[in-house]
Amino acid sequence: MTTAARPSLTPGIPPEKNMQGSPTPLSVLGPQAEAERQRIRQQFEAGTSARETLRALCELADHNVQQIFGELLRVHNRDAQGLCLLALGGYGRRMLFPYSDLDILFLLGNERVEQELRPLISEFSRTLWDIGFRVSSAGRTLEECKRIEEDNAEFHLALLDRRFLAGDAALFEKLDAKVLPASEKQARPFLLAQIHLLTRERLTRFGNTIFHLEPNVKESPGGMRDYQATIWLRQIVEEKRGIRNVTAAEEELSAAAVDFLSAIRCFLHYSNARNDNTLTYELQAAAAERALGIGDGVARAPAEWMRQYFRHARTLNRQLLRYLEQKAPVPLSLRQRLFNAARSAKSEPAGGRYSSVRDGLLEAVDLPSLSDRAITYSLFAEAARTGTPLSREAERSIGYILTHPELPPKNTQISWATLREILGSDYPGVALRSMQRLGLLTEVLPEFAMIDSLVVRDFYHRYTVDEHSLRTIEHLQELAAPPDERGAHFVPLWKTAERRDLLILTLLLHDVGKGMPVENHVTGSLAALDSAAKRLQLSPEEKEEVHFLIEHHLDMSATVQRRDIFDPATVSAFAQSVTTLERLQRLCLLTYADIHSVNPEALTPWKAEMLWQLFVATSNHFSRTLDRDRLHAPDEGSLLQRVKAKAGDATIEEIERFLEGFPRRYLAVHSAAEIAAHFELYRKLGTVPVQTELLATRHGFSLTVLTADRPALFATISGVLAGWGMNINKADAFANAAGVILDTFHFADLHHTLELNPSEAERFRKSLADVLNGKAPLEPLLKSRVSASRARAPKVTVETRINFDDASSAHSTLMEIVTQDHPGLLHEIGSALARLECNIEVALIDTEGHKAIDVFYLTGQGKKLTTQKQELLREVLQGTLV
Amino acid sequence: MMKIEAIIQPSRFESVKDALREIGIEGMTVTEVRGHGRQKGHTEVYRGREYTVDLLPKIKLEMVLPDALVNRAVDTILKTAKTGKIGDGKIFLSRVEEAIRIRNEERGENAL
Repeated sequence: MTTAARPSLTPGIPPEKNMQGSPTPLSVLGPQAEAERQRIRQQFEAGTSARETLRALCELADHNVQQIFGELLRVHNRDAQGLCLLALGGYGRRMLFPYSDLDILFLLGNERVEQELRPLISEFSRTLWDIGFRVSSAGRTLEECKRIEEDNAEFHLALLDRRFLAGDAALFEKLDAKVLPASEKQARPFLLAQIHLLTRERLTRFGNTIFHLEPNVKESPGGMRDYQATIWLRQIVEEKRGIRNVTAAEEELSAAAVDFLSAIRCFLHYSNARNDNTLTYELQAAAAERALGIGDGVARAPAEWMRQYFRHARTLNRQLLRYLEQKAPVPLSLRQRLFNAARSAKSEPAGGRYSSVRDGLLEAVDLPSLSDRAITYSLFAEAARTGTPLSREAERSIGYILTHPELPPKNTQISWATLREILGSDYPGVALRSMQRLGLLTEVLPEFAMIDSLVVRDFYHRYTVDEHSLRTIEHLQELAAPPDERGAHFVPLWKTAERRDLLILTLLLHDVGKGMPVENHVTGSLAALDSAAKRLQLSPEEKEEVHFLIEHHLDMSATVQRRDIFDPATVSAFAQSVTTLERLQRLCLLTYADIHSVNPEALTPWKAEMLWQLFVATSNHFSRTLDRDRLHAPDEGSLLQRVKAKAGDATIEEIERFLEGFPRRYLAVHSAAEIAAHFELYRKLGTVPVQTELLATRHGFSLTVLTADRPALFATISGVLAGWGMNINKADAFANAAGVILDTFHFADLHHTLELNPSEAERFRKSLADVLNGKAPLEPLLKSRVSASRARAPKVTVETRINFDDASSAHSTLMEIVTQDHPGLLHEIGSALARLECNIEVALIDTEGHKAIDVFYLTGQGKKLTTQKQELLREVLQGTLV
Repeated sequence: MMKIEAIIQPSRFESVKDALREIGIEGMTVTEVRGHGRQKGHTEVYRGREYTVDLLPKIKLEMVLPDALVNRAVDTILKTAKTGKIGDGKIFLSRVEEAIRIRNEERGENAL
């Protein structure tokens, strides 16, 4: 609020001189006020409630204001006609904290009165300052109060809390009953917009979270300002509609939160001897020791006491956000509707949908159906898929069910498939944030409760552990459109990351150990994974992946900061520990998010660049060493035993023959169970020379082909896939020492042929075998399909780049092609390679949107390609792919 | 009093900091910087895009020390920051005329 300048305490005539002869001169008032202040403080420290303390402070201020005002009128020999004093803001609401300002308005009947009384007003303020009150005053005529000062919204908002203090009561009545109701009605849209604006700015300044390690109990989200803003919104919105929008239970929670935060704020003011509202670690410990705000006198651990703080802060913040985001009221028949729902088994929504979007928020179409947890989770899945948050009303309804046992929920056990859907979507943070607010996150993942609102003292971290964890996820989903340059490199990594669900589960669990009595939090987090994996029934491979990511979640950051990332030996050692490109991608995203969420400045552009450099170097290391690291089967004792255990009567020698010579990546990207299945196919090669396995995956299908190596094999397989209208997204082509190839293709079924006609799978496999065995030609299959697809213009143009590298491999020439992806591309490349008699030793095929990124290790007659052959190949491919 | 500015490899920072602490030097200013001397940058190709790193990441340490400590500090930095490879960084020394502690206005070496 814009106020008159505070009077100087030093120059001018001492006020007591002007009040000489008064029955209560300043020399008496000052010590009296100070003694009363001390008494109030002692009583607070002895256990008097904050509410009582605020009331006493307010009465003390009122008493002195009225007394000094009366004395000055007497000294100046005039009456109060045409002048009155109003308390505004917190003082107006009778919430005057020990070192808060007294917001006082001098209301003047007209400008003439203002001229006459200026010396009196000035002396009044100075006198209050001199007896220890911090005055923040403003003067307005009645006429001026009618006008809306658009650059001074704070003043108008403070006026909402007006209270008569002293002076011309009739003047106040005029203002209160006539002038302001009319102007406030007119100014309602302006005031609402200003509350929204000021509140949003404040919340943003504090990162939109209540979970600060050292919160400001006035300004932070969840602080007293949230309460104040809620009161204003209620005043404006509810008065207009003439309805009550808060249940009695919510009022009760809110009152408890205000009492708790008021106690803290009084304590902070007294401890700091000034209007400083930061709840520092030191004062958290002191407050916990005296069970501040709890009242039972039993000392708590600071972390436990802070959980109480966050619980209350969450109440105030949630109420505020509900008013901010949702202007429309919900009828109070909600409870009845929910109760009726619980009695009815029917939960089918109209039109088969459970949600709709209104004002950019997800609403539950059928509120009663929310007692069925399966429907509630489908709402969260929709939020995670679309990035549309649940409305506060939808959250409120879910919250109501959660806290009312007479509305028993159905289907409370979430399946891993359902949770995967939420975690693996583009915006998992949107759903998880909402689930956390409602307490559902800990129902789904009880391990997360160990870090709920947990303060761990740390020089760098700014947020509680749970808030840090959720922020990691939000920073990843932000990569859909990164807000600054730090995220730019990581956008494609996020967009193409596989098994994001496992990455997000890792982020939820990676710091859970901080809430456990263990020396190293990673050990605790891994124990939490054990219990979560068992309950959610993760597969051994899924659990192993999350285990790796949790166990190594600090490795990439440590390597960036403590190793020379431009040293090939560092990169090689790091790559060896990470094992696969896919895992590197997840670890890099995890590290990016983890550093970013420590505090807003922790991920400097410098660190982001270092992290990216390590990623690129390690990724290239994987591509360039594919055929260098070959398996020597007898060294893989444990794997041999695991495969043998699944492979029945096979001998170790047989398994060794199968594995010998595969690139090490083969082990890294396939589980023991998959290798055992491949081995079973390998054993059948003697009777059926082309073995295939076709599996439906989350994003399409995967095809594994085992057969003896032969010219143009890769081109032929990719040609059959193209002929069937399949678009290859990823592929690995490996060969063992005995010349058996094992190619895996991950593809999208563009025309839904296999998806809609399961019987076509067998025909597809037969078609592939026939072409590979020379029983059917490839060309007719390809002709119509590929030409039709090529006719479509690409949305994004990717320039073709072909690079050769003779240095990375001792035996092969590495060729990397980056080009526009299109159906049949791999067949075109493979055919060109076959025509020029290039043998594919290893291939790694990937796509990123419209870009195909393919790496081939090639030989010609068993040797690296000659320079002439490389140039010819470049020319042919450039001609084919343009 | 001398001011020491040391540009070192990020990977050596923790070791240098610990070694300086061992000889009683706690106070320093640390900045993440980029640059190059004789060690030029390099180019990485990733997924068809060239990423040229011509300004390499380094850490800059700055500290002002009493004359008596300067040689020990320089020796310590040399010993712990050196890997023997190009790009290990540099140390710059310059004379400082005055130091003033803002809190109590102490001056000279007492302010360090």
